[in-house]
Amino acid sequence: MDPLSESGMRTPHNGAVVQRRSKTRSYRQSYRSCLGTASRLGLTPALTARRLNASRRAAKPQNVADKVNPEHLALLVKAEWQLSYVTPLYQFRHTQLRSYSRQLAAFIVAEKQQGLAVEVSELHNSYRVSLSVVQGLTESEDDAETVLIQIHSKPMFARQDEPQRSVWSGWLTCVHGSPEYLRSLPKDFTCLPLFGSRGPEYLSRVVKSWFQKTFDCCFGSLEINHTSLQWFAALWTDCHSQSHIQHLRMLWTIPAAPPLQITYTVDHQDAWDLWNSVRKGPTAAVAEDAASIDLEEVTGFLQALKSHFYRHFRLDLSAGTLQQVSTAVGSAKSSGRIKMSNSRHVIATLTLLTECALLKMPI
Amino acid sequence: MAETLCLSDSDRSSSSDQSVPSRSNNRSLRIAEKERKKNEAEDSFVLALRYFSEVEAGTPVAGNDELDRNLAVVEKVAFSKGLSPEAISVLLEFAMSLRMGTSPCVRVLKCLIPASVVAQQAVVRAVVWLNVSKIPISTQVLFIKWVLTVFDLIDAKDQLRAIYGFIFSFITEENLCPYICHLLYLLTRKENVHLYRVRKLLELQSKLGRQPFLMHLLSLYKVFCPELVTLSIPSRIRSGFKNYISPWKSALAAVQKSNGQQVSSSISAAFTIKEKSISRKRKHCHLDLPALSSVLNKEPQSEQTSRRKMVPLVHLSSFAQMLKDMHRIELPAQMGSLLGSSLALQYLDCVQEESALLRLNFWLGCALHEEFLFCRQTSEEALQFLNNLLSAQHFLQEGFSSSDAFLYKFLNVWDGSLLRPQILGLLSNIPVIPSTQIGRLLFEPLTQLFFTSSMFFKCGLMECLNNMLLKWLTWHSVYALEDDLDISLNSHTSINITLSGFKDSVMELVHFVGRLASLGLQLEGCNTLLLSFILDFYETVCDTFLKFGLPLVVMPPPGVFYPALLATDPVSVDRLAYIMHRYKLNLTSAKSQEKQTEPQQAFHISRHTFRQFNHYLVFMVNCLWNCRMFHANTDMHVREELLHKSNVPQYWTRFDFIHHPAFTGYAVDFHQKCWPGKKDVDVNSIKQSKPWSWYLEYLFNQGFDGLKDFVHSSISRQVTAGDELQDSQQR
Repeated sequence: MDPLSESGMRTPHNGAVVQRRSKTRSYRQSYRSCLGTASRLGLTPALTARRLNASRRAAKPQNVADKVNPEHLALLVKAEWQLSYVTPLYQFRHTQLRSYSRQLAAFIVAEKQQGLAVEVSELHNSYRVSLSVVQGLTESEDDAETVLIQIHSKPMFARQDEPQRSVWSGWLTCVHGSPEYLRSLPKDFTCLPLFGSRGPEYLSRVVKSWFQKTFDCCFGSLEINHTSLQWFAALWTDCHSQSHIQHLRMLWTIPAAPPLQITYTVDHQDAWDLWNSVRKGPTAAVAEDAASIDLEEVTGFLQALKSHFYRHFRLDLSAGTLQQVSTAVGSAKSSGRIKMSNSRHVIATLTLLTECALLKMPI
Repeated sequence: MAETLCLSDSDRSSSSDQSVPSRSNNRSLRIAEKERKKNEAEDSFVLALRYFSEVEAGTPVAGNDELDRNLAVVEKVAFSKGLSPEAISVLLEFAMSLRMGTSPCVRVLKCLIPASVVAQQAVVRAVVWLNVSKIPISTQVLFIKWVLTVFDLIDAKDQLRAIYGFIFSFITEENLCPYICHLLYLLTRKENVHLYRVRKLLELQSKLGRQPFLMHLLSLYKVFCPELVTLSIPSRIRSGFKNYISPWKSALAAVQKSNGQQVSSSISAAFTIKEKSISRKRKHCHLDLPALSSVLNKEPQSEQTSRRKMVPLVHLSSFAQMLKDMHRIELPAQMGSLLGSSLALQYLDCVQEESALLRLNFWLGCALHEEFLFCRQTSEEALQFLNNLLSAQHFLQEGFSSSDAFLYKFLNVWDGSLLRPQILGLLSNIPVIPSTQIGRLLFEPLTQLFFTSSMFFKCGLMECLNNMLLKWLTWHSVYALEDDLDISLNSHTSINITLSGFKDSVMELVHFVGRLASLGLQLEGCNTLLLSFILDFYETVCDTFLKFGLPLVVMPPPGVFYPALLATDPVSVDRLAYIMHRYKLNLTSAKSQEKQTEPQQAFHISRHTFRQFNHYLVFMVNCLWNCRMFHANTDMHVREELLHKSNVPQYWTRFDFIHHPAFTGYAVDFHQKCWPGKKDVDVNSIKQSKPWSWYLEYLFNQGFDGLKDFVHSSISRQVTAGDELQDSQQR
């Protein structure tokens, strides 16, 4: 009865109640909510609404290149990824990646053959799958190591000697995941809530379904909402001191008839000046170790951009929605596509996205 | 013949008329009659079969009443119960031999619905007939379609395989070809694949083009003998043969269903109830319950588990088996699959593993969020999914935490009509919410929904909240017992906190419903249906102490009490009387218990509750019994002048048992029964002491038990309609 004594430890006031719960079945959660105590998982799932952090550390220019395999980093950085969230993986072992690779390859072949009466022999070794750990992306000890998945294959009408090419790639990651959440999970679970994929849709589907079958997890699409996009606009602008952002471009849609789409591009220097003006206190000057950025500053920044636009075009952008934010550092779309162009800011971007993904967790 | 039958019928009826006395005799006669009819039907079926097996070739069809009658008999049996293997053999032989030409042949073929299985012999003979007699092509197609439909029911296939080459020869017939290909596809073994058959197929292909049915057969041949078929098969041929419209399918399903011994279900695994959804749209991928499968990835586990041999849940097929292997059951790879299997739910009911439940909740929560949070229309799958979930929750007698979490979010975006019964069903399973949170999570969204929705939603919500309260109270009454056991183990205080927290939540809920009910009744003009659902709720509330042992009594608000008392239908008044009666019992027993127990342990029911109860009781008795409706010190302050102005004679008596709009009808009826001769009805004459008690007796006999209990418990009858009210009061 490990979990019970554990919960007793965590919630000392209600030790008695927890004790009594031991008699009831373990999934009885009535008592938890009845008492308003933390559950045995340390979660009070529905009762405490998780929110996006209102304040976060400014993106420190980290030289991830020192920590992360440059090959992996190049792979992460060069492409646009379609994002999903993943519920915690059950009995996932980082030590078993080799055997997972084999299983996944076999699974892909099996899926391809489904519905085919004919066994096509070439299919068998037509896919090579590699799962590997990307060391160095974790930020806290609770984060699980990032896993990179690559699928190589030969094109349909390839010559015999042609080498296999990467046809699909994806990764599962957790950067700066909420420690309360991560610690609340039993140790059978590995939480890698953020999943990015690139490549043909059917392969994404197959990979997802293999993960679902093997680790009993679920995938769902991860949209980047308005607030998160605003955060990206601010975070990336804040990077300007270290890496040139070129411009800050935002795409707005206005619900008018006919629908109006507005591309709003701000020059890098103007954006930087504006950002510095909304930054509170002296922190802006010493951006090197800027403590944190508040949501207030972010909304202030966006408000200033909007009012500037209003002054020129008599059009209030608040009525519309932000669909896309892009700079030379990265771009994010509300549909859940992200591109990280500069390796120095990968961590900051992934931190925010991990947070978004954890918000999507059903419990 | 018809005439004689009629005669005998009338004979029998007249004779039974004469022999009045013995009813049982009559009854046995009827049974005998039924038996006879049944036998007759069976006989006629046997006769019909005999007719079909013996009828001479060349018997004319036109104007043949006998044939018509027998066909009708066979059809009736076929479509209601299905045909036995022997019957099918006889009929198939009759049809395919074309003994009476083609028209009865088609009709017979169309009613060949097997009750259990089809004898292989019959099918083989029929196939042989295909070549011998001159059956029109359309009929041949019909026959092959029939074979394809009942293929799984044919008791053996070896002889059919033996005539593989014979069947293959029909492939050249253009109209038959698709069906023959399908049949061959089902029959083909490796030894059937020969080069000449491949050549034939290829030749056909060059003639007919790349037809899917040919490609399928060829691809199967390629699987068996890749060296014979060099043709490249495209990777994406449309899967399966086209599901040709078959006239038997629905009838077959119906017959099998009614026979109860589903032949097909014995083929599919009895373990899971998973049904392949008809249309597998990608849109609803989250709604498919995962298949129950064992863990793919067996890694070296801890020694303890590896020493025991685990039994995957999939391999269990009965409850007894599960009990036997209870200690070594291995959970499936995907916990979501448990939801589809009743046996697995049994296991889940006693499973102690934290992570297993967490996995299930992750899956369920994800499916609910992805599919329903922004869903705007109902689909068959959605409905089925929620019904599955509901029945699982019913089975476990509680909700899943992920569905609760989902509901708290969903209530904010719900329009109140989407999947209403299911959502309200899930809602009623929500566990107790602490009183500090209950407003934000439940009341705010529900208030909005309640006041913006139709009457039916209001009724539905009332029912749902009643169920929720019932579950909370039941939960309390079950675990309150455990509390007692634990008292020795634990400090006292924590339990007290528990109880008071629980009480607070229940009180919040009851007050909330009271507010909704008062305003709802106003909005809907005291609709009787809504009132009935509200009274349902208060029937639960009034018994919290006696039935569920919760020392809490909450009175209904005036907005519920008065509309119920002054309702125009007697049922509402009767139920209110019952509720008041139960309140009285609860309050008196709570009071006596309060006196017995020591002060520090005692629960306390506030004086306000007693006062409110007495207040209602006095009003009710005044109103129904004492004819002092607008007495001072009541909630109803109507000025004397105003009452005079209304010109209602004796306004203070208007709501007694005689004049109350709900009971006037009864009063008049009683009056007529009591004084049948009297022309002018003066109901006031009932007021006299004797008729009054008769009238009450009469009312109680109409089934107003609530009133009966109320009158017996709250009004002392010795004082006839007296003003001695002290008896009826609590304090």
